[in-house]
Amino acid sequence: MKRFLSLALVAIMLLALIPAVSLAEAVSAENLAKYGLDETLKFAETRKITVEIYDRSVDDGPQPDDNMYVDFIKKGMLEKHNVEVEFVRVPRWTEGTDIANLLAAGSAPDICITYSMDVVNTYGQMGGVTDLAPFITDLEAALPNLFGTVGTELIWWNKDPIDGHLWCVEANRIDSWQQNTFVREDWLAKLGLSVPTTLQEFEDVLVAFRDNAELLLGTEAAKLIPFMFSYDVGFRWQPILDSLTPDTFTDRERFIYGSDDRKFLWPAAKETARVLNKWYNMGLCWNDFALYDATTIGTLEDDQLKAGYVGAFVHNSDYPYRNGTDSIHNALKRIIGEDAAFVSVNPFPNETGEVVRYAPAKASDRKIFFPYTNDEPVASLLYLDWISTFENTYFLQYGEEGVTHEVQENGGIKTIGVSGAKKMNSVNNIDYTITINGQNLPDPETKINSLALSYDNTDPRYVELFVHHYLDYDRLMVPVNVGIIEAQEGIGAELESKRNAILGKSISAPVDQFDAIWDSGVADYLQSGGQAIIDERIAKWTQFYGDVDFLQ
Amino acid sequence: MQAVARRPAGTLEKKILAKSVLTRMKRYWVLYVMLLLPIAYFVIFRYLPMPYMAQAFKQNNIIKPIWEVPWAKNNGLEFFIKAFANQSFLNAIRNTVVLNVLDLVMGFPAPIILAIILNELRFPKFKRLTQTIAYVPHFLSWVIIYGLAMRLFAPTDGLVNILLNRAGAASINFLGTPILWIFTYVFLGIWQSIGWNTIIYLAAITNINPELYEAARVDGAKRMREIWHVTLPCLRPTIIVLLVLSLGNIMGGGFERPFVMRNQLVDSVSDVISVFVYRNGIQGSQFSLSTAVGLFQSVINVIFLVGANMFAKRIGERGLM
Repeated sequence: MKRFLSLALVAIMLLALIPAVSLAEAVSAENLAKYGLDETLKFAETRKITVEIYDRSVDDGPQPDDNMYVDFIKKGMLEKHNVEVEFVRVPRWTEGTDIANLLAAGSAPDICITYSMDVVNTYGQMGGVTDLAPFITDLEAALPNLFGTVGTELIWWNKDPIDGHLWCVEANRIDSWQQNTFVREDWLAKLGLSVPTTLQEFEDVLVAFRDNAELLLGTEAAKLIPFMFSYDVGFRWQPILDSLTPDTFTDRERFIYGSDDRKFLWPAAKETARVLNKWYNMGLCWNDFALYDATTIGTLEDDQLKAGYVGAFVHNSDYPYRNGTDSIHNALKRIIGEDAAFVSVNPFPNETGEVVRYAPAKASDRKIFFPYTNDEPVASLLYLDWISTFENTYFLQYGEEGVTHEVQENGGIKTIGVSGAKKMNSVNNIDYTITINGQNLPDPETKINSLALSYDNTDPRYVELFVHHYLDYDRLMVPVNVGIIEAQEGIGAELESKRNAILGKSISAPVDQFDAIWDSGVADYLQSGGQAIIDERIAKWTQFYGDVDFLQ
Repeated sequence: MQAVARRPAGTLEKKILAKSVLTRMKRYWVLYVMLLLPIAYFVIFRYLPMPYMAQAFKQNNIIKPIWEVPWAKNNGLEFFIKAFANQSFLNAIRNTVVLNVLDLVMGFPAPIILAIILNELRFPKFKRLTQTIAYVPHFLSWVIIYGLAMRLFAPTDGLVNILLNRAGAASINFLGTPILWIFTYVFLGIWQSIGWNTIIYLAAITNINPELYEAARVDGAKRMREIWHVTLPCLRPTIIVLLVLSLGNIMGGGFERPFVMRNQLVDSVSDVISVFVYRNGIQGSQFSLSTAVGLFQSVINVIFLVGANMFAKRIGERGLM
């Protein structure tokens, strides 16, 4: 298998080169001359571009703009296209605001990345974003790797249906990573409980944790939190909300009520909040969750998870296992003992008894765009093509064999935890492989085998479980493109703030006050711009799709 | 006398004055060079951006030069209308005024009282130590102060609540209950600034003529009487000037304190104008709206400043202008 994988990788690399040469020849001589390129897509004179890189402030990681992977990219781009690359750091968790600031100041990097379509649209409408359509049209044949990795559909996905401009290219969300629910496996065993499979069973488990605090934590019993969530409740409630969403939920409804990325306007939002409100009042949740936000929470929540005070929580699919030796999983083993571990569970079936996870469409990952200050749009597009090349992605995602990974007999790629210059600051360096999000491996079997070995000092059993939880149950949402929704422009931060406040207040309210607080909060939300967005979305859906409920 | 009055425009005096100014500038050139820095600061950051106030009346575009951006709808008043139709903005105005008035009412007398107490201390070393300790919070950022506040007041594991629990009382959510949050906000503001703000009053007290105290003592005044009849009246001009300046900021206020201290549970009282501007202007990229709000805020502040100054003059004080 290992030999087969090696041969397959070599074959893919060679195959990738063949179209590159022939397609480069397919670019008209006129266009090559127009953009200063020779037939090998190399600039006669060295060009310089700057590229945004997320800064995650990883404790024992390298500088995001100066490490082995950065050197690899710089060397590769200089050799292949005669382009010098510099990276510009942007803090990961405030990237939307920071990139907006850089755009406003006219100092944004040539290649920008953001998860916020609002930022792209707002600055695009001001004339602050380069229209990529003419460049991609001229140079399509010179971008085989970009088209091969991202796909024609995603590249053109944001093409305006009315005037044809294209302000950004979507990255390919290879893995539709969703939130998973995790429970302390050792606590279940200690209390003789089985893995919960329904909402009620999950609640019973939380109650059992609460009632057996002294048995589980001894003198630290008062610190036990059966179910942990913090300030971004909307991110953490998704598995429950999906389960309470009617199975008949249509694409039309999903689009109309889909402006909020936490599904706050979905029909099940109120009932989901009611569940959390009930649990909060039963003493099952962290009392102080609403007092923190992204800027003040720091590592407080993770610290409690690592210290072993938490019974269950919802977070990113792989949250307990990421960050190598500093992962929650490894910290638990160090602090509590070898058998302490969080295990992924899926206790939230919907009304039909099926577990459904509404995953974002592939076109809901990072958006790549060039600000108007980018003087090198062609060099920047060639960068996107270079970074999408299989062998380059492969190196960036796995690093050096024997140092950061080992290829196993079954073809799986085992990640080796390192610190310092060769450590990856993001899982599989997704911050550098900006055109894809997820491991780019040739076949699903290799991929699952590799994922299972991607987490340092973590039993593959835990990884396989959470991987299957998203592979088996995700219902990919169909993407919809009706152009710009004007009512959404500039209002995102205001509505997000209101949403968070409504969630914080209603969940922490006494049970008998929940309805009043929720209803008045939602009324204010709608009056503050939420209703205008819904109305415009209804009009746009009707304009483009008529009275159709489902697109597929 | 009439002949003197008609003398041609005081040329001699002007020359003497000019020479005197030049002489002083030569003598104190170092001070004038140092002055260049603050002048440059005000020119670059306060005066040069002023033409960009026009953004409030223009469409939301900061990519084009301001003179090329078309005027906003409704004769350029689109964003003022939008702001006043926005309930969040109206709440922000209310919260800004309430918090600033409370800061003024509760925070303004505090450094005066502390300055008088410090002045009355008879042990110089203790006085200096107290002063130094009182200054320290001024140098802490609000992020650190709020971190300390969380350690003290958090419902689950804040020190104050732990003590309350041990005393058999229930936890109090100082930071999550709107009314208690307001008092915590004001209290922390006083704690942070009280020491620093005493400096100017202590300086003013130092300048009080000691003969006034001696005269008061000769008349049989005790300490409280000295404070009431000498210290406070002599501090009055300083108090009035600082009060006028504070009133001129009644619609303003900083950004850091409310931004750091706010949370989901208290947004109804913590959302002030500066946070509203940050959220809509910086995060939401609505530059015209936030400029309109900023302009409105400045106009109200100027009205308060001029009004307070006129009032000060009417009651016989010098005021600022």
